[in-house]
Amino acid sequence: MPALALQHVNKVFGHATNEVTVLDDINFEAVSGEVSLVIGPSGSGKSTFLTIAGGIQTPTSGSVMVQGQALDDLSAKDRDALRLNRIGFILQAYNLVPYLTVRDQFTLVDRVKPTGNLDESALRHLLEQLGIAALIDQYPAELSGGQTQRVAIARALYQNPDIVLADEPTAALDSARVKVVGQLLRDLAKAHNKAIVVVTHDLRLQEFADRTYAIMDGQMTLN
Amino acid sequence: MFLALREIRHEKLRYGLIIGMIVLVSYLVFILSGLAYGLAQQNTQAISSWRVDRIALNKDANDSLSQSVMTKQVADKVKLTSHEAYLGQTGVVAKAKGQAKLSAQFLGIDRDQLVYRRLKVTAGHKPTKANQILVDDSFKDNGYHLGDKVTLNAADGQYRIVGFTHNAKLSVAPVIYGSLGTWRTLSHLTPDFQASGIVSTRANFKAKGLSTLPMSKFINKLPGYSAQNTTFSFMIGFLMVIAMVVIAVFLYILTMQKLPNYAVLRAQGIPAKVLVTTTVTQALLLVVAGLVIGAGLTLATVLAVPAGVPMSFNLPLLGAVNGGILLTGVVGALIPVKVILNVDPVSVMGG
Repeated sequence: MPALALQHVNKVFGHATNEVTVLDDINFEAVSGEVSLVIGPSGSGKSTFLTIAGGIQTPTSGSVMVQGQALDDLSAKDRDALRLNRIGFILQAYNLVPYLTVRDQFTLVDRVKPTGNLDESALRHLLEQLGIAALIDQYPAELSGGQTQRVAIARALYQNPDIVLADEPTAALDSARVKVVGQLLRDLAKAHNKAIVVVTHDLRLQEFADRTYAIMDGQMTLN
Repeated sequence: MFLALREIRHEKLRYGLIIGMIVLVSYLVFILSGLAYGLAQQNTQAISSWRVDRIALNKDANDSLSQSVMTKQVADKVKLTSHEAYLGQTGVVAKAKGQAKLSAQFLGIDRDQLVYRRLKVTAGHKPTKANQILVDDSFKDNGYHLGDKVTLNAADGQYRIVGFTHNAKLSVAPVIYGSLGTWRTLSHLTPDFQASGIVSTRANFKAKGLSTLPMSKFINKLPGYSAQNTTFSFMIGFLMVIAMVVIAVFLYILTMQKLPNYAVLRAQGIPAKVLVTTTVTQALLLVVAGLVIGAGLTLATVLAVPAGVPMSFNLPLLGAVNGGILLTGVVGALIPVKVILNVDPVSVMGG
């Protein structure tokens, strides 16, 4: 059973003459233990795909299944719980709460989800892997773009989710850091049996992917 | 609470300004309420100290003690018990050697009756002779002393201050308690006149041939009392409404500014309930902090203002003011709840 599956998903915005089809009959599968890459240019529908896959948006038609559970069958509250417990989101921008230090970003997760998160040593190891262990008491405004992105990755992984949905996680990183993040995501998939889905236009991540989809004008193809 | 406190700690200037605004609003409302209540008290302090329920006046006096006078013939028709007392009121100007003139209300009372019994002396003793008077503490504040000889209305006689009493004011003027005989002298009345009115602690007291009314009605008919109270009530009422709207608008704007952060948190699966609780808790913290500092400033002001400034506080009134401002804060934070519940995480995600 795939960890995440989208079947015949369409997403249409607007009405009548203003109607725009952003996703057109998308079929997608992400399997536990694999990194799935969705590559496409800006405006191709990548982020819309990701928000629908994570239950933030609902499709106009088609179905989204998370570990065999159809998102259509879940209430908004249950979809929140699903995101908090089983899906980790790495957003493209503005993905940290500005008035919380790096440490407090994790404390907040503990407050709303007291169990199932990484323990202290696993978190320290993750922060060291990402090269941000020394930034634990910094506020997001005190971090560079790359550091912010790495903290956002750590925050998403801290919840220990079964599925990680990442929106351009390497957009602000240099090539060396891209390799670190790519390898981290790959290790996470292999060692911890996570399903990792990355939407990006960064071709440098291709070497870490088990399967690669291309998205263009709302249509997706498996390469 | 966690998010609410962390945000306040991080955004010290912004939240400091909001607390400052609430402090100023609450301080203004507290001071104005204190002044209004203090002034109202100065109209009726003396009456309150007698703890009476009804008053009987001359039928033609239009329910005014200062306009009322009753002859012995009329007064004798009323059988007085230990629950009643005669009162003779007249306005006077008091002057002691070397002291400034003071406008006051002279109240003639009988030493065997309840008003005399209920007087509380803060210094000296109650008058025991016709030429002795007991005066309000404000005389002391104006330089008068025990033993001073005072002339009243520039009449020939002199009256010795034998005691001071606290909170003895009538129609915002200090009260001088003396004998009914002195009242007659000052009012240029013959011994045929008994008093201005009769007060009673009995709720069903009625005096034949006289107009009898409850003290609440009598107080409302004190010259200027109702007009002054109505004016202050409207001022405080309008101030409260405007203050409430201002606080609610500030908290609403504050919440709207946080929506992008809330969108991020919603995308991460943080339940909407947590965000609503955070918003309301934060509003309560800000308002409570503002009220506490405002109350502290008010207390400091009360200690600093001169004794002559009529400022007094009524706990139920203060409680209502605090409750109203607190409620406003909650309402201001709750207005955008629907927006918080519907905040769209997609709005913070790029395309």
